[in-house]
Amino acid sequence: MSTDQPTPPSPGSRLLDPAFVRELEALRRRLEIRARSGLSGEHLARRRGGTSEFYEHRPYAPGDDLRRIDWAAYARSGEPVVKIFRAEEDVVARLVCDASASLDFGTPSKLDVARRLAAALGYMTLAGSERAQLVVVGDGVRREHTPSRGRAGLPALLRQLDAIRPEGPTNLGRAVDAVVRRSPRPGLLALLSDFFDPGPVLEALHRAAAAGHDVLLLQIVAPEEIEPSFEGDLTLEDAESGALVDVTMDAAALEAYGLRFAGLCEELRAWARRHGASYVRVRTDEALHDVVRRIVARSVD
Amino acid sequence: MKLPLEWLAPAGLWLGALLVPLVALYLLKVRRQRRRVGATWLWQAARRDLMARSPFQRFVVQLPLVLQALALLALAVAASRPATRGTELSGEHVALIIDTSASMAATDPRTGQRRIELAKAAARELVLGLRPGSDAMVLDAGRDARIALPPDRDFRRLRAAIDGLDARDVEGDLGAALALAVSRLKQLGGERSIVVLSDGNLARPAAFAGAAVPIELVRVGEPTDNAAIVRLDVRAGTDPLLAREQVQAFLLVSNRGAAARELFVTMRERNASDVLDSRRLTVAPGESEPVVLTFHPAPGDYGQGLVFELSPHDALPLDDVAYGRVPVGRKLPVLYAAAGTPSPWLLRALAADADAEVRTLGVGELASAVNVDPGALVVVEGACPLAVPGGDLLLLNPPAGECHGALVGESVERPAITSWDHASPRLRFVSLDGVTVASARVLQPESKRQELLRSDRGVLAADVSSSSRAAMLLGFDPGESNWPLKASFVLFARNLMEQARLHRSSGVGGPASAGDPLRVSVPSAARELDVELPSGERRVVPARGGLGVVPEADRVGFYRIGWKLPSPGSVLVPVNLLSAAESDLRSAPPELADPRLRLSTPSAAVASHREWGWLLGLAALGFVLLDVWWLTRRPRPRALGAAGRPRVPERRVRA
Repeated sequence: MSTDQPTPPSPGSRLLDPAFVRELEALRRRLEIRARSGLSGEHLARRRGGTSEFYEHRPYAPGDDLRRIDWAAYARSGEPVVKIFRAEEDVVARLVCDASASLDFGTPSKLDVARRLAAALGYMTLAGSERAQLVVVGDGVRREHTPSRGRAGLPALLRQLDAIRPEGPTNLGRAVDAVVRRSPRPGLLALLSDFFDPGPVLEALHRAAAAGHDVLLLQIVAPEEIEPSFEGDLTLEDAESGALVDVTMDAAALEAYGLRFAGLCEELRAWARRHGASYVRVRTDEALHDVVRRIVARSVD
Repeated sequence: MKLPLEWLAPAGLWLGALLVPLVALYLLKVRRQRRRVGATWLWQAARRDLMARSPFQRFVVQLPLVLQALALLALAVAASRPATRGTELSGEHVALIIDTSASMAATDPRTGQRRIELAKAAARELVLGLRPGSDAMVLDAGRDARIALPPDRDFRRLRAAIDGLDARDVEGDLGAALALAVSRLKQLGGERSIVVLSDGNLARPAAFAGAAVPIELVRVGEPTDNAAIVRLDVRAGTDPLLAREQVQAFLLVSNRGAAARELFVTMRERNASDVLDSRRLTVAPGESEPVVLTFHPAPGDYGQGLVFELSPHDALPLDDVAYGRVPVGRKLPVLYAAAGTPSPWLLRALAADADAEVRTLGVGELASAVNVDPGALVVVEGACPLAVPGGDLLLLNPPAGECHGALVGESVERPAITSWDHASPRLRFVSLDGVTVASARVLQPESKRQELLRSDRGVLAADVSSSSRAAMLLGFDPGESNWPLKASFVLFARNLMEQARLHRSSGVGGPASAGDPLRVSVPSAARELDVELPSGERRVVPARGGLGVVPEADRVGFYRIGWKLPSPGSVLVPVNLLSAAESDLRSAPPELADPRLRLSTPSAAVASHREWGWLLGLAALGFVLLDVWWLTRRPRPRALGAAGRPRVPERRVRA
């Protein structure tokens, strides 16, 4: 083990075990945050004093800044090319964790999985000497913690995560809007939720993406929510609102529910594809390192 | 219209009343189990989808109730023991033979219906059991077989054909119907069968043997006791005490029952209520008792109808009555026509009978003779005229040539008599031993059976009877032989006269039986006969050569047959059943040794009617199992790809 490897969280923390940490350590360098302000690309960094890192060559096009022509490469190849730099700047990973009552469902609960995933994302961010900020949301922003930086901030993050309690209703749209409003600079906006919210979530996410945030949607669902195993005539009680729905669990009802659930997933997936965001659907019974691999691959499930 | 099903235990349908508490239990349904979920948002959307997708969703939701109700209904119907009311007829082509013989008119002691009605009812039920695509034909089996309906699949036509049948007063012959059915079925391919609906009271049970098609004999009617007049002979005689002409009726009364019967037999004239004579008798079970009834006829009684009645009546009134006719008297008119001088020998032998009235005339006068009794005995000597009035005919020593169908040859000298027909009623008790004939004409009748007297030179006497009269051809003049010197000649003459008397009293065909064609001797000039049936209906039948034939005389009673030429006249012909077989109403079914024969009864057929309770019981069990499966199944939604397109849940517009 190298000396710069962060100290594993205390045994009291149930969020990161050593094996998981080893996985995260292997994956953390592959985590890419595509916040617009964090990328240089074709534009100069708006912030002065920032360092830049050569990214790639691109054929010269009329109108390009002549100062960016790589004359040495031109001399070697005879073709004028322009050097592209990527800004190296401080990136904030905002871990927006839904702590509404609906997350308290399943074994392990969806909130537990959300905590662990948030811890994993936080670990990978902090291990890269970047900042991670936990925002606990429900019916709006319930608590916005101070961003942590570096490995030293990990225990605090874990304690913050451990302190989350599921309660209250969900209003993801309002919460996302609030987070975007409070973010001075765009960064990674990882939204950990089951997305069981009939409100205008997508519009809020659209505004976040428009603000330059690199949106990562982590939909955490229990297996029973994907394939309900209910039987007979039931009255379903909403964990958040207490609303009651009478349902006879027959094949037709389950099929109708399945189509609606698939519609919700498809809606999120389509939005992610359209806005260059990531969408990862997480079953509470699957191994988290697989989920993390899909996250760093920025997949759209 | 009657349903093809019947309920053997209709009270079982009350089980269906349990539907009321069942539905009530569902109306008072137990509270649903409450379950907490993360969010009901998607479930609400799914429920809206279900409601929108199918208006029967509520029904599907109540599927357990539906299944339980169906199971209960099936059990209720099964408990009522539903059964098809007709046996399933096997075979693509079925021949329904319905016995319409006289015994089918008997009243069944159990149901009070006539047997023919029971048979028709059974036939109607059997027709309902016809398999789809099968056809049936209906045969009327009386004395003769008749196809009442050729192969047909239409129930209405089949029923109409069955309804149109009725028992007739005839002795049945199922053999003819079976033969006809087999003949018709053989022309059709596929599976064939014959169903005979009869009381099993068969005059000819052998008809069932060796049938080429499977036969089912459905026996209708219960065995019952019956007494009947089974023989009748009415003849003219002489009262031994008063020495007066007397009509003597000989009857045979049979008791086909298990107990002795005390019976009264009465005789009266047709259309008269006065009893001419009566007897009281006790007939032991299974025995027959002869009865003789007599009366002294007045001149106006000759030819009148006589009604003999057995009382009290029983199951078959038809055979309790017999019909006769007052004989025309012992006096037999004899017409002796000779071409030359009449032979004194035969004339003397005929005239020796005190009851004979001999009249001589020339052959030429024969055709124009008037007031000739239709039953008179006519003797023609030395000629062979074609048109001869009267009844029985004897042709003596005819000239060479054709004579009444036989060929008369040339004269031969001293033929030696070799044999004669002992069975012929004319030669009854006659011995021709020692009879020598000086000369005779050899006869050549149309068939050997007509030969009556044979010699070494050929046939000397032949029977040349036609359908209208009895006739005999004698090829020699008895005066040319020593026969008149022997007693057998007197016997011969006596036989001739007795035969003529018999034919005169009963007609040419003898006693008429119902079902047989009725043959009546009428004047030769008559061409058209007016027939009045026992029912009062009238029919016109043609007459030829002094013979009239009524083709269908299937009702017992009196048939009055009248003619207008040469002068108006009529004759009353009694027609009787007189069948011991038809009157035996307790007869057992025929021995069915042939494996292709099967015996059943309508009651057995009802018992063997297919009950469907077991099937409904199985259905009820199936409903219950389905209900159990439904209630205990683990519903699994189909794979999303197969289930349909995902539906994006509706969202609120504003937060």
